[in-house]
Amino acid sequence: MAAQPQFTLYSTVVGPNGWKVAMVLRELGLTYETVYPDFSKREQKGPEFLKLNPNGRIPVVVDHHYKDFTLWESNAIIEYLTTKYDTDNKLSFGDFDNQQYMRQWMYFQASGQGPYYGQAVWFIKNGNGEPKEVVERYQNETRRVISVLESVLSKQEWLVGGKLSVADICFLQWNTSADRIILGSEFIDREAPHVRRWMNAMIARPAIAAVMQERMKMLSA
Amino acid sequence: MSDIHLYTAQTPNGIKVSILLEELGLKYKTTAIDISKNTQKEPWFLEINPNGRIPALTDTFTDGQPIRLFESGSIMQYLVDRYDKDHKVSYPQGSREYYQTNNWLHWQMAGLGPMQGQSNHFTRYAPEKIEYGMNRYQNETRRLYRVMDTQLGKTKAYLVGDKCTIADIACWGWVASHRWAGIETLDDFPNLNAWLERMLARPGVEAGRHVPSPHKAFEMKKLSKEELDKHAAESAKWVQQGMAEDAKKK
Repeated sequence: MAAQPQFTLYSTVVGPNGWKVAMVLRELGLTYETVYPDFSKREQKGPEFLKLNPNGRIPVVVDHHYKDFTLWESNAIIEYLTTKYDTDNKLSFGDFDNQQYMRQWMYFQASGQGPYYGQAVWFIKNGNGEPKEVVERYQNETRRVISVLESVLSKQEWLVGGKLSVADICFLQWNTSADRIILGSEFIDREAPHVRRWMNAMIARPAIAAVMQERMKMLSA
Repeated sequence: MSDIHLYTAQTPNGIKVSILLEELGLKYKTTAIDISKNTQKEPWFLEINPNGRIPALTDTFTDGQPIRLFESGSIMQYLVDRYDKDHKVSYPQGSREYYQTNNWLHWQMAGLGPMQGQSNHFTRYAPEKIEYGMNRYQNETRRLYRVMDTQLGKTKAYLVGDKCTIADIACWGWVASHRWAGIETLDDFPNLNAWLERMLARPGVEAGRHVPSPHKAFEMKKLSKEELDKHAAESAKWVQQGMAEDAKKK
């Protein structure tokens, strides 16, 4: 019998944040099993799930090799994974400066990219006759975030320390939502060629590609 | 030798850092950034923070070279990692409470801040009152307050363990400004209200909240609806102007 996976990852097909964690788990060669709470039954707001995350959101990770340690908020999870398990710094850094810079970009992703792209997707999909300024507000913010990334990536290959790290990976899923839903892929193709180069370099990695394909398969199912 | 220089403005994100610096008793220089004049988009500032937002912080690192940081949560973690050796407002790296503090800090950064910020936008700054937008984000802010109120009911005094941490400090300025976001009172959130006052009683919070200019959230709470609307109309002018400039640049 196969060994139990080390982690349980609670995720959802539609939202990008669980997949971000899956990419890091797979890149680090950590084993996990994914559980998808039934959002249509609001299982993520039920008492069992709220014991795992009082905020009633995915992702949540449980580490069965470390006293079933339970953590939520995707980038807090990723920082836990790299601190504890990426000891040879495949996707993180051993030196203090780059550790700080990595965190800085991860906060920008979690507070600047995710929430705004998320509002854009919400109003595009669930819009209810709001004035077009509402969607535009969030599309403009999406463009602005991409232009900030472009301004940095036109001068360097990766966001931090001259190599791929979780600071880069955490942006990828939502940027694919900008392509698919918010702006169409022409925007990045035309206005942010270095962002496109950077996304493609990540997508070419087998671990990341595998996670993205799994999600696409489930989305189209 | 540290050489901390904080670039900030009187906002919930700005005062997080000054409160923390005061709590840790650190010396620092302050440059006030006039966001109504878009100073944060000037080239010299973009060198420090390519995202053109406050707060940002520079310091001399142990190797003698400068370090430049942005994103308030990341700045707070830097300060405690480097300077809070006695764990006054943090927990030792690797401990359970360390990761839980991180958890709530990320919750503030990715949830409470952005969503309450959208509520500010639709309630105060948007060129027209859009009922749906106001309701969506006021409700989300209330939901997040409920999550925090429930947690504080369990832990009693602060979000993690038994002491004030950077997670509490990060949330404080936002909760203090609840009325600006359209949440009239905290009467439905007794634990949160008590926590707001408990935090206010800390000397570090009192000193740090007035950087770089006086903190007005509590005076704002006493204003009439009309007075609040007048304030909002003034801010809306430069907020909309800034948005238009950003949109032009792409």
